[in-house]
Amino acid sequence: MSRIKNILVSLIFCIQVLLTFFLFVGDKVKLPVWLQVMGRLHPLILHLPIGLSLFFLILLLLPQRIDLERETLSRITFIVLLFTSFTASLTALFGFLLSLQGDYGSTLLMRHKISSTILSWLCYLVLINYENLRNRKVFFYGTISLMMLAILFSGHTGATLTHGENFVFGPIVKESNQLLTVENSSVYQLGVQPILEKKCYSCHNDSKAKGKLVMTTIKQFVKGGKHGKEWVEGKPEESNLIKVIHLPLTHDKHMPPDGKAQLSGAEVHFLETWIRSGADFEKKMAELKPTDSFRIMTSQLLVKPEQVIEKKYSFNPAPDKVINNLNSPFCSLFPLYENSPALRADFFVQQAFNLKTLEMLKEVEDQLVELNLAHMPITDEELSIIGKFKNLEKLNLNFTKISSGLKELKPLTQLTSLSLSGTKVNAQSLSDILPLPQLTELFVWNTPITNNEQLAINQQYPNLSIVWNLFRDDQPIVLSKPSLVNEGVFKKNERVILKHVMPGATIRYTMDNTSPDSVHGKLYESPIKIESTVYLKACAYKEGWLQSDIYQVMCFVDGYKAKEIELLTKPDPQYVGEGAKSLMDSRKGLADQFKEASWLGFKENEFEAGFYFGQEAPAVKNIVISYGRNTGSYIFPPAQVELWAGNEKQKISLIKTINVAQPKSNESAKVDALIIPLVEANYAYYKIIAKPIKKLPAWHSGKGQKGWFFVDEVFFN
Amino acid sequence: MGNEFLENRFHVNRRHFLGKLSMGLGSVALGSLLIPDLFKNDENDAAAFSGLSHFAPKAKRIIYLFQNGAPSQLESFDYKPLLNQMAGQDLPESIRNGQRLTGMTSNQAKFPLVGSHFSFKQYGQSGTWVSELFPNMAKIVDEMCVIKSMHTDAINHDPALTFMQTGAQQGNRPSMGAWLSYGLGSENKNLPAFCVLLSRGRGNGQGVYSKLWTNGFLDSIHQGVQFSSSEERILYLQDPKGRDREASRKMLDHLSELNNLNYEEFGDPEIQTRIKQYEMAYRMQTAVPELSDLTKEPDRIIKMYGADCLVPGTYASNCLMARKLSEAGVRFVQLYHQGWDQHGNLVGEMPLQAQDVDRATAGLVMDLKQRGLLDETLVIWGGEFGRTNYCQGDLSKDNYGRDHHPRCYSIWMAGGGVKPGLVYGESDEFGYNIVKDPVHVNDFHATVLHLMGLNHEKLTFKHLGRRYRLTDVAGKVVHGVLA
Repeated sequence: MSRIKNILVSLIFCIQVLLTFFLFVGDKVKLPVWLQVMGRLHPLILHLPIGLSLFFLILLLLPQRIDLERETLSRITFIVLLFTSFTASLTALFGFLLSLQGDYGSTLLMRHKISSTILSWLCYLVLINYENLRNRKVFFYGTISLMMLAILFSGHTGATLTHGENFVFGPIVKESNQLLTVENSSVYQLGVQPILEKKCYSCHNDSKAKGKLVMTTIKQFVKGGKHGKEWVEGKPEESNLIKVIHLPLTHDKHMPPDGKAQLSGAEVHFLETWIRSGADFEKKMAELKPTDSFRIMTSQLLVKPEQVIEKKYSFNPAPDKVINNLNSPFCSLFPLYENSPALRADFFVQQAFNLKTLEMLKEVEDQLVELNLAHMPITDEELSIIGKFKNLEKLNLNFTKISSGLKELKPLTQLTSLSLSGTKVNAQSLSDILPLPQLTELFVWNTPITNNEQLAINQQYPNLSIVWNLFRDDQPIVLSKPSLVNEGVFKKNERVILKHVMPGATIRYTMDNTSPDSVHGKLYESPIKIESTVYLKACAYKEGWLQSDIYQVMCFVDGYKAKEIELLTKPDPQYVGEGAKSLMDSRKGLADQFKEASWLGFKENEFEAGFYFGQEAPAVKNIVISYGRNTGSYIFPPAQVELWAGNEKQKISLIKTINVAQPKSNESAKVDALIIPLVEANYAYYKIIAKPIKKLPAWHSGKGQKGWFFVDEVFFN
Repeated sequence: MGNEFLENRFHVNRRHFLGKLSMGLGSVALGSLLIPDLFKNDENDAAAFSGLSHFAPKAKRIIYLFQNGAPSQLESFDYKPLLNQMAGQDLPESIRNGQRLTGMTSNQAKFPLVGSHFSFKQYGQSGTWVSELFPNMAKIVDEMCVIKSMHTDAINHDPALTFMQTGAQQGNRPSMGAWLSYGLGSENKNLPAFCVLLSRGRGNGQGVYSKLWTNGFLDSIHQGVQFSSSEERILYLQDPKGRDREASRKMLDHLSELNNLNYEEFGDPEIQTRIKQYEMAYRMQTAVPELSDLTKEPDRIIKMYGADCLVPGTYASNCLMARKLSEAGVRFVQLYHQGWDQHGNLVGEMPLQAQDVDRATAGLVMDLKQRGLLDETLVIWGGEFGRTNYCQGDLSKDNYGRDHHPRCYSIWMAGGGVKPGLVYGESDEFGYNIVKDPVHVNDFHATVLHLMGLNHEKLTFKHLGRRYRLTDVAGKVVHGVLA
């Protein structure tokens, strides 16, 4: 016996630890099938600890006079206790296994679990300390009483879990167990009663009846409380029921009282509407039109917004292996979401389309509910394959090559959405599938279907939403500007190439600073030959479009290179570029990137540079100074430019002085050119002096301060 | 006597104790057998992802038209006539209520209120207010769900932008697109799941940085792929001259052998990622030319998006590209249009910005709709915060500027399971505080994930010892905007 006792006690301890462990991490447990069977034995064995514990109690309370030796009695009692404890632990364990298999109310279940665990621990503790405890009567009977309480409580919660609330007294408590539906219920039952039940019944029932008002039965509710009837039919504003709701929360008479759950705006609104419509207890919900705001409100009150409504399918999921096999880089097949049996297939990359891949989808013809074949080379012939996917709900055939074979899609009785945009489908062919029972959305933009045909379909099938052509704004809009293909500094004899992104657009241009338009300016036909730096303006136009804005660009032509270049003054230390070299490296700077090495910046010093061409100097027709303009960054044209020249460095004279026009207001950043025309000059040495503006004009935010002069290139053409 | 018995009971010897302990531990071990992944390393977290939505998704793809720099809500969707009436008066302290200011206006002595220079009208069956700057967007208000009650934590561009994109103000977390790529994978295996397109308007701009489309701590395959603004949308994708596809294939095969050798030695998962990326690039060589060819688009489409849509690098061309990418199964297309930071000269700059985006944005939504794609594509338009209802700097007669304002701003969404024709949330008469249905950035993220069929509390990744989410420890799905 002692051996069995030891084994059992150890076993009980094991189960107890396991139980306690499960109590905390229970929700993460995944149950193998064979353990589920054990769990289902819970309702069977749970009667053992109940019975045994009662028997144990009886043995304890047996009058001392009974005809048994005390020692024997004590041993029997202990054995009963041993088995009570063992079966209690086992029952709790099985119960836990069972709890994982079904949806039980979580709070109730938790209470049941905790009380059972406590109970089994109590049994175990009494068991292992039996001898000691027996000698401490108060402590002993206290513990036993606790044990019995725990049995009562866990037994009660367990029974409620199995049989539902109030099972025992059910037969003597009247309750309508009819299911409430829109068809068989009144507005009161569906809409009003649930609100009262939630927010009012707890104080206004038979046993409590605050203010002598009982709301739980219609008869008593109509009778009212100490103020009499609680409402005036048709007049919610005079009804006490509504008035007390609207009293300030701190007011004594405000209902529900501060601290209790208050009515939501929608609920108050509903009660008001109910009273306004006559506070009818009989009116059936089905009598109201589906569009009736009252009915809509009720259904909104009934539906929980958090619910994600997921469609249930009757077919079985396809095996993972099949799905994996059908997947390829150009066809992806996947369930709509985790654990959904329904599949969606998308085809990608036109030139990689393989008809076999589509045919192989037959393996999942039951499960396929969405299919996207947009832009694939599908013709009418292939539609018969698609017609076999009988559970298809959404089909995208945009920009495929189908035209008149839609009748093949007739078997698709589940189809709700069909996209045919950009295909050659005509109205005649369309008429084959329009009667499909579930079809609600049809996309036929960019098809031969005309506006009138679309309207006719709309009339015949008013429930079908047909998207034909959403963009009907045919007003012409502005074309984009043409652009330059070969940017940068043009080499001698290199031609200027213009382009426009729009096929069929025409470009006109000018090089004389006038603005081109559809009649003025030269038509661009072939690349333009330019002799020297010019200011090119171009615009584009096309039938059905408004003429583009004018594209303007300074086209610089590369000139003669000087043998020596010298910078006679120092640029600002922040903008030194690559020194004198920068001036003749045929590299242009960008208008908003003045920190680039192409640029030289001057503010304190004047710009002064010498260009030495030697004795065999070329004939120069003009000198082009490329400079930056950016008023926002205080970068202005030079105030004055002087050109000095001569045949020797030391013997030069002032040839030209140019005062440059200054901007009159803020303008955006750009690169401009100062062109100094010369009459076939062939000096050996030129010196250019450019003076930065000393005082910024009055309109500028930095008025009175010094301006900047930025130069990136000087061309001698 | 009894006491001695009791004491004896407490003299548990070592062997007894250990015996009991082992039994207890044994029970726990037994129990843990039933929990399949209790002691498993969380590296398997990623592998355990099925790449599927947790529940039926409303949207399958997202196009996020990010208006970088924060367009003013007061000149776009949040109509506040009171500001026009009170123009020039100081913002009441009771409204500002201690709101911190940026360094740009904190020294301002006065905060003169200023109303919209541009007029507002109601449009569509929904009667949504839209300013005259957005005439084309105004035509699609019945497709839009305008949220006027967005609010954020940050007050400067970089943290606000980073918060909007990654759910954290510091730039070390994965971007929304990366999370979706991680959670749902790529629909089209020939294209990245997350593509990024940049454009620049004519207004005062703020930079965008690659940290905004980073994979953060996720596998680098989830990083956003930035498209170029040049005519070649993805640089270096084409084979160099003189090498055919066959040769590329062979080269890749050998390269991946070498990489695999390396992987076996070092076990760095990034090596596997690299192999996958080479493979994807190889497949992109066939998929991308089809996509970047805009010449086959009908004239009507060009008109919908505006003529600029054929000029590479413009917002319009990015919108058209976004439609093509999305149509081809790209999970998340992210656009950034820079230039919305109107601290001054708002009257001059905002119309230019609006001109850039208005037509193309409306065109994109319509184009998706006419292809039957709008119901499965979620389009989002908006910036990183709002702008102040008072003028930054001197208020002149015909021009003004607005500073950053985190307390309320407007964005809109369309398609993909949001309620069309809805205006959600409300700001006060001053357009300064939210008075109804606030939507925090975290809530916005939770809602977007919800629309994609993902529970934002379940899409997690364990990093540095804890699990991270896009919404981190906050965020509630905004059920009011769901269709």
